[in-house]
Amino acid sequence: MEHLVDVERVSKRYPLDHSFVRALDDVSLRIRRGEFLAIAGPSGSGKSTLLNLIGCIDSPSSGHIRIDGIDTSALRPAAAAALRRDRLGFVFQTFNLIPVFTAEENVEYPLLLRRMTESERRRRVAEALASVGLTERARHRPDLLSGGERQRVAVARAIVHRPALVLADEPTANLDSHTARQLIDLMGELNARLGVTFIFSTHDQRLLDRMDRIVRLCDGKVIEDTGDQEAQHAQVSIAGL
Amino acid sequence: MRKFLSLAFRNVFRNKRRTLMTLLVVAGGVAGLLLVGGFFSFMFWGLRESTIHNGLGHLQIFNAEHFRRDEAHALENGLDDYRQLARKAEGIPHVRGVTARIEFYGMISNGQKSSVFMGSAVDPGKEKSMGFVPRIVAGRYLDGKDATGNQALVGAGLARSMGVKPGDGLTLLAVTTDGALNGLDIDVTGIVNTGFKDLDDRLLTITLPAAQRLLQSERVTNLVVGLDATDHTDAVYAALLPRLAGLRQDVAVRKWIDLATYYKQVRLMLSGIFVFLGVIVFFMVVISSANTLMMAMFERTREIGTMLAMGTPRRWLVGLFLLEALITGVLAAVSGIAAGSGIGALLNRSAIVMPPPPGNTSGLPLRVIQEPGLMIGAAVLVMVTLALAALMPAVRASRLQIVEALSHV
Repeated sequence: MEHLVDVERVSKRYPLDHSFVRALDDVSLRIRRGEFLAIAGPSGSGKSTLLNLIGCIDSPSSGHIRIDGIDTSALRPAAAAALRRDRLGFVFQTFNLIPVFTAEENVEYPLLLRRMTESERRRRVAEALASVGLTERARHRPDLLSGGERQRVAVARAIVHRPALVLADEPTANLDSHTARQLIDLMGELNARLGVTFIFSTHDQRLLDRMDRIVRLCDGKVIEDTGDQEAQHAQVSIAGL
Repeated sequence: MRKFLSLAFRNVFRNKRRTLMTLLVVAGGVAGLLLVGGFFSFMFWGLRESTIHNGLGHLQIFNAEHFRRDEAHALENGLDDYRQLARKAEGIPHVRGVTARIEFYGMISNGQKSSVFMGSAVDPGKEKSMGFVPRIVAGRYLDGKDATGNQALVGAGLARSMGVKPGDGLTLLAVTTDGALNGLDIDVTGIVNTGFKDLDDRLLTITLPAAQRLLQSERVTNLVVGLDATDHTDAVYAALLPRLAGLRQDVAVRKWIDLATYYKQVRLMLSGIFVFLGVIVFFMVVISSANTLMMAMFERTREIGTMLAMGTPRRWLVGLFLLEALITGVLAAVSGIAAGSGIGALLNRSAIVMPPPPGNTSGLPLRVIQEPGLMIGAAVLVMVTLALAALMPAVRASRLQIVEALSHV
């Protein structure tokens, strides 16, 4: 299976007062197409930073990130925006729907950026809303939807343009257990059915239990990767020392 | 594009109360501009027409020497064969009539008291037919059929000063074209009020034959051309010039605007006031809308971050904010025009009379002219101003760092 994401010796430093904080420290990671993966770790471990870097909404201080073979660290802002528009989907902890748009208009938004015909847009929006079970709520604005419904709209928005990769930052953090479980089931089903790669940043055990692979971070370093044999081998070697 | 327009429109009404306040301020500015501008337009129109119909006419024909050197004697720079000149002008379309005038100075006496007068000699019949009849406050206008023609209209101020009323006799003294002193007895037929105090204090109007006898000359000072509408002035001027070329006497034609010094001064002053008001409205719109748009930008920081994360081009965000400002501008302009027109119509019905302007003796009716040009100008002003006010928030929104914007609380 080919690698969709290749994180190579990536570090990220943030300026703080007169020094720097190292949010990520020499992280390397390879993610295969179709994986259902979580980046886990306590607060401040660097999981959101890594997700932002993979999502091309932030740039590394050093190292390289390749998505579909494209070195994103070398991209100009407009090219990075085009890559996000065409190949990535985002799900946020706080849903981040456009409040003045209805559910179907929110789902349609990524397609508007791609200059698609109206009939094609309608077909894809209907399909995406059906896949998250919200056909009946298509004309409702976010303020009339429950938290779980809003997040399902956000998921539909993230997959409607058929991206290669969906990045979800703590998607279940604002949901109750039942709704969170439903959402996890939904994303697992979409991953299996559509073959879309999902990367989550989470410390929600309910979500972690459903993952094919978990990458654990602590203090900006990868301390465990359940799916990467090379990393596992390295861990065993370190333990052996 | 339709969806973005819809998004912009819905964003404008996201915070209804704030948008309403902005619309009230901006629309109030537009309405204020229209009311003041409409009232000034009425004043310009009224002053223009009163200036023309008080005797200035739309065009005047002079001996060219009139503008080159001062006269040593009365009518030295007058027109010789003025009847032939008048016939040439009368044949032009839109010319309502041509009348001769003599402007002269002299002394007036009632036997006990003397005063200086500013004399104007007219052809009563033609003046009447051209609508150049001043406001008579007592007595009647000059009788053009009177064989002697020794009649006079006296300005209200001069009549008061000399203690005369219609039917009283006066003696005029003036220097003839030869430099001799000549006298003429006249009867006062009417008292006039031009609306200008300085003029009313000196004005005396007599008939052309009487003035020609007094000044001992067949010449006139100028010919006054009256038109059916002021808008035809330029066209008639252009048509008149070739007809007067190649005459024995070198003549000069002047439009009313070239001779209406007072009108030009008033117009300049009021235009300055209007521009000043426009600047105030500009800043009012900038301050109120820039604050609203900046607040909207801050409130939507996370949403903007989300849009950027999804790959929205930054220039689209600039366009979105400008579009929102433009929509606000259109709504404010339409509301302002509607309010301004409504209030203007009410004021026009109210028959309010403003106090007389400086130097005038009669009050000015408060009327507002609804001018499409002014409405378009005010609408364009607020739309451009709002777009300018939106520029800074729009650029700031487009330059937001996505990660920071997404974590904005």
